[in-house]
Amino acid sequence: MKYFLKTSKIAILLLGMVAAISCENELDLPEAGSQEDTTPPEANFIATVDINNFALYNFANLSTSATTYSWDYGDGNTSTEVDGQNEYAAEGTYTITLTASDALGVVSTFSDTIEVIEPEEPEAIIPVIIEPSFEDNTLPDGTGDGRDSWRNSDLGGVIQINTSSTVPEGGQAAKLPSDASRIGYQELTVTPNTDYRITYSYRIEDPGGSATVSVLPGGGYVDRATAEASAIVEFTGSDESYTLVTLDFNSGADSTVSIFFYNAGVEARIDNFTAALQ
Amino acid sequence: MLLIVVSTVSCGDDFLEPVPTAVLVGETFPNNAEELESVLVSVYDALQGVNSLELTDASLNHAQQIEFYVTEMLSDNTRSKSGEGEAGQFDNFTVQPTNGFVFDYYRSMYDIITKANLVLDNIDLAGEDAATIEGEARFLRGLAYFNLVRSYGDVPLIDGPILISDSEAQFTRVATSDIYDFIVTDFQNAIGSLDVTSTPNRASKAAAQGMLAKVYLTQGTNYGEAQGLLEDIINSEQYALEADFRDVFFNEANGENIFTVGYVASNSLESQNFSAEMLNGVGRTSGVNYVTDEAIAALDEFGGDRAQYSKRVDAQQPTQTQVVKWIPNGDADLGIAETSSDPTSAGNDWIILRYADVLLMHVEAILAGGAQTTSSNALASFQAIRDRAGLADDPDNPDDDANTVTVITRDDLLIERRVELAFENHRIHDLRRFGVAQDVLTAFSNANGHSFSATDLLLPIPQFEINLSNGLLSQNPGY
Repeated sequence: MKYFLKTSKIAILLLGMVAAISCENELDLPEAGSQEDTTPPEANFIATVDINNFALYNFANLSTSATTYSWDYGDGNTSTEVDGQNEYAAEGTYTITLTASDALGVVSTFSDTIEVIEPEEPEAIIPVIIEPSFEDNTLPDGTGDGRDSWRNSDLGGVIQINTSSTVPEGGQAAKLPSDASRIGYQELTVTPNTDYRITYSYRIEDPGGSATVSVLPGGGYVDRATAEASAIVEFTGSDESYTLVTLDFNSGADSTVSIFFYNAGVEARIDNFTAALQ
Repeated sequence: MLLIVVSTVSCGDDFLEPVPTAVLVGETFPNNAEELESVLVSVYDALQGVNSLELTDASLNHAQQIEFYVTEMLSDNTRSKSGEGEAGQFDNFTVQPTNGFVFDYYRSMYDIITKANLVLDNIDLAGEDAATIEGEARFLRGLAYFNLVRSYGDVPLIDGPILISDSEAQFTRVATSDIYDFIVTDFQNAIGSLDVTSTPNRASKAAAQGMLAKVYLTQGTNYGEAQGLLEDIINSEQYALEADFRDVFFNEANGENIFTVGYVASNSLESQNFSAEMLNGVGRTSGVNYVTDEAIAALDEFGGDRAQYSKRVDAQQPTQTQVVKWIPNGDADLGIAETSSDPTSAGNDWIILRYADVLLMHVEAILAGGAQTTSSNALASFQAIRDRAGLADDPDNPDDDANTVTVITRDDLLIERRVELAFENHRIHDLRRFGVAQDVLTAFSNANGHSFSATDLLLPIPQFEINLSNGLLSQNPGY
């Protein structure tokens, strides 16, 4: 255990037996012209906007070797306090100048520009679901067969389209055959940490199976088991007549979420997705 | 603490003895895995600091035990009772570069860094637990640099063993942003290397995740990554809020504390004296870290159940108010048992990170610098803190929704952090991080006749260091 208790060749930061030897730059008062000012003032500050008032700024004076200060806030207001504070009457760009002087009359100035602007409350994105009720020609360019936006061949086959029966919206619905090999998948752009509501309608064609719709965090899913295990929110139902389902969820840290739907056991139909803020 | 004690005993008592910084590093590096583990323990000991009532050599490092002077007492939460001496300099914003606590804290952090560097430089000696040892050393080094950069600004960056002649590395101040890059790398490594631990006295994955999240929040960038890290902790379900706020502090084996500095009562090498110093004339001082009128008012208005377990009237001096969270000798009125038979050799652990902080940081990450949020995930984390504090709605009265949180502003969050984490050395960092320190402390200073100016938000570089540096080390503005 010796190696910790001996003094060493290896230095550590604070090693030293030296008592505090003063090396302060306390100049003797110079006779006129006899000694230059070796520590001239250097003006500096940083500006911080108030958290509740976009027009109110605090200025932290970080000048060195100065004793008196003069602030010009750029809007006609001035101050001789050490630290500054100013509330601006109008939006705009302002140049703040701090003049710092020492007792020898040496002057330093520093300027910085701020932009006073009322922050806009960012509007939350309302996600756009493409081909939401599986109708033909509902891609943004006016084409499509109602299912192009719902493909993800890594997770399963593409949905079929039901055109023959009455559906909740329009003339077509998504159809998932009873072999459960097909899925629907679409990534949506969202605002992080926002509460959303997705609705849809579904039914199953015969007893003994189910239809599941889930919302996944993020996108880029390539593995079905991972996707099935990742849902933020999901609903699995077995109603045999069309039933409206509401999925409420929070988008979390992601700016993308994914809708993922699939069935089990029997044929299922899904139609009429909507997305909105809660 | 138990784990540290056990592993320390196995490698000889010598390692337990806190040694002055000047003889920290031996002429021989550790030679095998067992010796390397001992050096790692010495890093924890460096964070622990020595009890200055037990070991009175003033050159020893006191680290965590004196942190409250340079953080909490610099804020508007606490003050010294007398307002005099070096402690009083923090109360009234007249801190001098010669202040002993400023120097002690600074050299304590570099003591941690230097010892951690010794571990990392010899990590190839480690056996199968090399990753864990590296993760722990990097966690502690990252924590020390995070403390330094928040309190002192630009500081020298020592990333490995250096020679005494290498004054450039010792005394060249490195830009805060570069220090933060270094800290992020250390914490990221620790996250990858560490797992759960049996005691919060040892660094864990969650501890590193929480500290990295706090770094990101402090930088004001990577809010999304901070949120992800915090949600990893939340979703791990390894931690939970204690039902009774008091148990966070007086039942140390609780499930809320994520990283704590361990102390052992009545043990001259492993005990602490901060608990005594916060009492009336029990420690070396007449009483420090006494509660300001402003903090009393905040706790009374917003604290709920937390107020009574955070502060109490000083029975010997009813005009004064003490901190409760670390009392060593019990309080029958509050149902707090004695934790240390000798209050000057106390065993109360210091909490660096606990789950309540994680939940409040989660809200902060979701706010992401904005003015307010109504996002349900933020509301849930915030509501959990409020509910535990006894500020929940009456469950028997369906019309009572007065305490249901529907929107959280930055002011709300800052107040909640103040009363939840009062006297845990967060306040000054929170004020800085929220960008309100100048505003809040100017008002506080004016109301109390102190002399705050914005340059007081950074501590001075210790004069001792500046003198040794032979002109290399520059002082912070305002000193």
